[in-house]
Amino acid sequence: MRVPISWLREYVDLPRDAHEIADRLAMLGFPVEEIAERPTISGVVVGKIVTIEKHPNADRLQVCMVDAGGETPLQIATAATNVAVDQVIPVATIGARLPHLTIEPRKMRGVESQGMMCSAEELALPAEWFEDGIMQLDATTPLGINVVDLFGLDDAVLDVEVTSNRVDAMSVIGLARELAASYGAPLRLPSFENPGTAEEPAGAAPRVTIESPDCTRFVAQRFDGVRVGDAPVWMRIRLALAGQRPISNLVDISNYVMLETAQPLHFYDASRIQDAHLIARDAREGETLVTLDEVERTLTPLALVIADAAGALGLAGLMGGAASEVRAGTTAIVLEAANFEGVRVRRMSMQIGLRSEASSRHEKTLAPALTEIGAARAAQLLVQLGARAYRPRAFGADLVPAPAIELPVRDVERLLGLKLDATRISQHLERLGCTVTPGEHTLAVTPPAWRRDLVIAADLIEEVARVEGYDTIAAIEPSVPSHDIPSAQYDLETKLAATLASLGYHEILTYSLQGQSVLDKVARAGITPSHDRVEVRNPLSEDQRYLRWALAPGMLEYAARIDAPVRFFEIGHVFARERSVGEISMLTFGFAVEPNDEPAWRDTHFLRLKGDCEALLRAVCGITVEATRDTRAGLHPGKTAVMMHDGREVANFGKIDPRVAHSFGVRLPVYVCNIFLEHIPEYRTPRYHPPSKFPSTARDLALVINLDVTAEQVSSVTRRAIGALCLGVRAFDEYRGPQVGEERKSLAIRATIGRYDATITDEEADAAIGRAIDALREELGATIRT
Amino acid sequence: MSELATKLDDLYARFERAITTADDERALDAARVAFLGRSGEVTAVRRGIGQLPPAERPDAGKVINAAVERMEAALAGAVARIENRAFDTELAQSIDVTFPAIAAPTGSIHPVRRVLQDAVAYFERHGFATVLGMEIEPDYYTFDALNIPATHPAREGFDSFFISDSLLLRPHTSPMQIRTMQAHKPPIAVVAPGKCYRRDAVDARHLFQFHQIEGLLVAEGIHFGHLKGMLTGLCRELFGADQRVRFRPSFFPFTEPSAEVDTTCPKCKGGTAACNMCGGSGWIELGGAGMVHPNVLHEVGYDTGIYTGWAFGFGIERLALTRYDIDDIRRFVDCDPDFLRQLA
Repeated sequence: MRVPISWLREYVDLPRDAHEIADRLAMLGFPVEEIAERPTISGVVVGKIVTIEKHPNADRLQVCMVDAGGETPLQIATAATNVAVDQVIPVATIGARLPHLTIEPRKMRGVESQGMMCSAEELALPAEWFEDGIMQLDATTPLGINVVDLFGLDDAVLDVEVTSNRVDAMSVIGLARELAASYGAPLRLPSFENPGTAEEPAGAAPRVTIESPDCTRFVAQRFDGVRVGDAPVWMRIRLALAGQRPISNLVDISNYVMLETAQPLHFYDASRIQDAHLIARDAREGETLVTLDEVERTLTPLALVIADAAGALGLAGLMGGAASEVRAGTTAIVLEAANFEGVRVRRMSMQIGLRSEASSRHEKTLAPALTEIGAARAAQLLVQLGARAYRPRAFGADLVPAPAIELPVRDVERLLGLKLDATRISQHLERLGCTVTPGEHTLAVTPPAWRRDLVIAADLIEEVARVEGYDTIAAIEPSVPSHDIPSAQYDLETKLAATLASLGYHEILTYSLQGQSVLDKVARAGITPSHDRVEVRNPLSEDQRYLRWALAPGMLEYAARIDAPVRFFEIGHVFARERSVGEISMLTFGFAVEPNDEPAWRDTHFLRLKGDCEALLRAVCGITVEATRDTRAGLHPGKTAVMMHDGREVANFGKIDPRVAHSFGVRLPVYVCNIFLEHIPEYRTPRYHPPSKFPSTARDLALVINLDVTAEQVSSVTRRAIGALCLGVRAFDEYRGPQVGEERKSLAIRATIGRYDATITDEEADAAIGRAIDALREELGATIRT
Repeated sequence: MSELATKLDDLYARFERAITTADDERALDAARVAFLGRSGEVTAVRRGIGQLPPAERPDAGKVINAAVERMEAALAGAVARIENRAFDTELAQSIDVTFPAIAAPTGSIHPVRRVLQDAVAYFERHGFATVLGMEIEPDYYTFDALNIPATHPAREGFDSFFISDSLLLRPHTSPMQIRTMQAHKPPIAVVAPGKCYRRDAVDARHLFQFHQIEGLLVAEGIHFGHLKGMLTGLCRELFGADQRVRFRPSFFPFTEPSAEVDTTCPKCKGGTAACNMCGGSGWIELGGAGMVHPNVLHEVGYDTGIYTGWAFGFGIERLALTRYDIDDIRRFVDCDPDFLRQLA
């Protein structure tokens, strides 16, 4: 909300500095988004044109004598065409400073000119909102007084943000009250007395029938003798400074009162309301209404309308209708100051796709008591314009004062950690408009009629803290009591991330929401998802329609974008829909890498990936989980392994299926490992096994075996055959080629043999290896290469 | 006597020549054997003592021993000379230490997680636990239980992605307040970091997915001053010891009193109108905080006559942008390798 500081000063004395006021507002809970400074203008006074003569030497110029309150009138030459004798106008005198010039005495075509009459633009007001040429002031304005002071033209304008609970403060009075309370300064409010007391002529008294519970209150008031024209200059300038375009005296009054009090108003041409009878009701399906912006709108019952017997006249709290609008010839009007349910106005506004200054207030649900205040202020201003006011007539719910709130005095300290006595607490609350009745240990606090947000003691404590100042509360480190809430899941993620970073992987973040294009890439590679995707109902764009079901697709897009060797990991949630929506925690790590020049049966990158996976799991669960061959959608069918523990899949890993990589546009081979966080076994503390004090011996064997025999099978048979003497078996080389034949491969293993009670003898070792060779031959069909 | 001395002097002179000219350990050892060995020249001289008159024999022994000591000392010096020559060769090497390092094959933790971990570490040091939650939440946990009924205008402020009528991607981490309080009895002291989603168009300051850290402390005797204390400590932990923190009144349905928390801009220190980090205001907005609303405590069955508490929710990307002086929030999801390496 744009608030001219000059307007605030009408109600409360404030410091000169706009930044100080802005800071104070921020510390009251009303942050200032922008301080619009006004240009420096000086030396402009009120003058009156006494005579006008033609310029002797120039057809386009006129020479005016202007009474600017001084001893002698000023002679001013002007090119403006809207000047006339007796006009009261702003005059920039010699030495005056305007935004783009300084006034000096000069000759215009030989005629002395002692100043300049000003247009709105020269006073830094929007030219298009005021008359062309010289600005016209009210005839009664005293001559010679300073125009800048008169209209507050040098005071900055604040753009104030008001939280949704404080719609009462979407008003100049509301903010002035806050500042007055905070500065401890008196608040000068206008009278809220309604000058209308007379009874209307027969049949002219407005009546309102409320058919919808969403219209809580409706004050209607009739005025006669209205003459539509321009609003007074001071009002137009104030509205302009507040960013509101002046339109006509009636429209301007309704806007002015709304900005001043927060209560939106609407004026109907009385002659256009059938039988002076208004009805607040749901719109009928298909009912049409042309609103003030000349748009014909087809309504549904979601819309709340103000209607007469003939049909809808306006959208309640949102925008009036064109048919009942006040116009040039209007002489009698009916004022509406109504209260509506915020939700209803908001939903109507959203459905119609229309918002207004009025609806931005109504949608937050104003206090019903503001209807009276708004009507009274409008009536005062209309009477000032010469209108005749009849008495206001209120319909709907009666105004009942809010019940008093019990505020235990000790709760202020209990919640704030700030000790304040009951007197000071009462003072703060009273400054905000509360009525406080002190009790023994509690205060009975009745909130002001315009506040709907004060309901419980905590609400009042916040008010006390705001006025006292949040910065007066001392910052203290609490001593946190002990509790038994575990951090296990977070600790696991932290450890996984730290381990992967130490293994040379960079953590990345990719989007959890993906578009159809990602699904298409997967489908193009021939993969059918095993579960349904989880779909977002209201994505902002098509690239955000689906929740990711795995981390790898985002990483493939990343790898395609980077298009260079890179090592990466991400920890995040993935989503799938079975019977219901499922969400699990995942970790995927991997790398894009230059391909190795290797035979088809060897893949060092795979083995490195496996090594990192083993190291990672060992770091977080203290054990090595065995990998077995398997297949997984998206991974190369011959280069995939899984790690199971307690029947649950802890990890799967392998090379990305080249068709998938191609589909994602990844040039380099990519290897990934997917880990299911919920399946990672709990950390088991490793136990130390001291090595034998006696030397052991190592024996290497070169075996020739069938292609389908695995290193793990060979190791396990060897281990079993050697028995208790076996300290370890490890395959360390594989070879395939013409020397071993098409269907066979060579595998080199090293067995470490030893005893814990004595040095092993060559005979024992030879016998053990002999057992192993026999077992390998018998069980796996192995032959020994020599 | 003088005959013996002359002999020993000659012996010593020859020994010294031999070990001085010796070029390696082997030549040195040969000299040692020739002079000091079991059948070396010194032994031969010693045998000659028996032919001296008995009265001269003790002195002769002393003179010979002294000469041997001298020779052994000279030998030790020669050994050291030969050994040191090997070190000298190595010590004569010299390199350009400013030549670029061979990079260690290290990875990195994402800057968002790093800031999150630092914030968590601060709270854990003060006795808080860290809990994680789900990203899809029912509207009950997201709104209703947090004192935001269906008709509340604040609901639209959380422009959320919906999965169904009642399921949504959480727009804040506050559901973890309810989940934690339902799962545990007071006292409660937790932080809950995690990913959140809002329907924001992506630009230099906004992503539709971001991270928050939620904090919740509920116990007897907890007040607003404790909130200020902990959050001031957090800002100093993250941005430096001279950091100031400002609490401004604000409105959140689930806290009362409520506050917006700002900290002094670590870049301009609250000074310059041209600062691109704070926009010249001198303050960085961190997020919302406040005393837990009594309705929220009632919802989880806590006795508001006994327990009070505070909660806060900060955006982690905002903290990371500020901490690392990052110009564009999209860099967090672009994850350019150079970006990650610079901040590693």
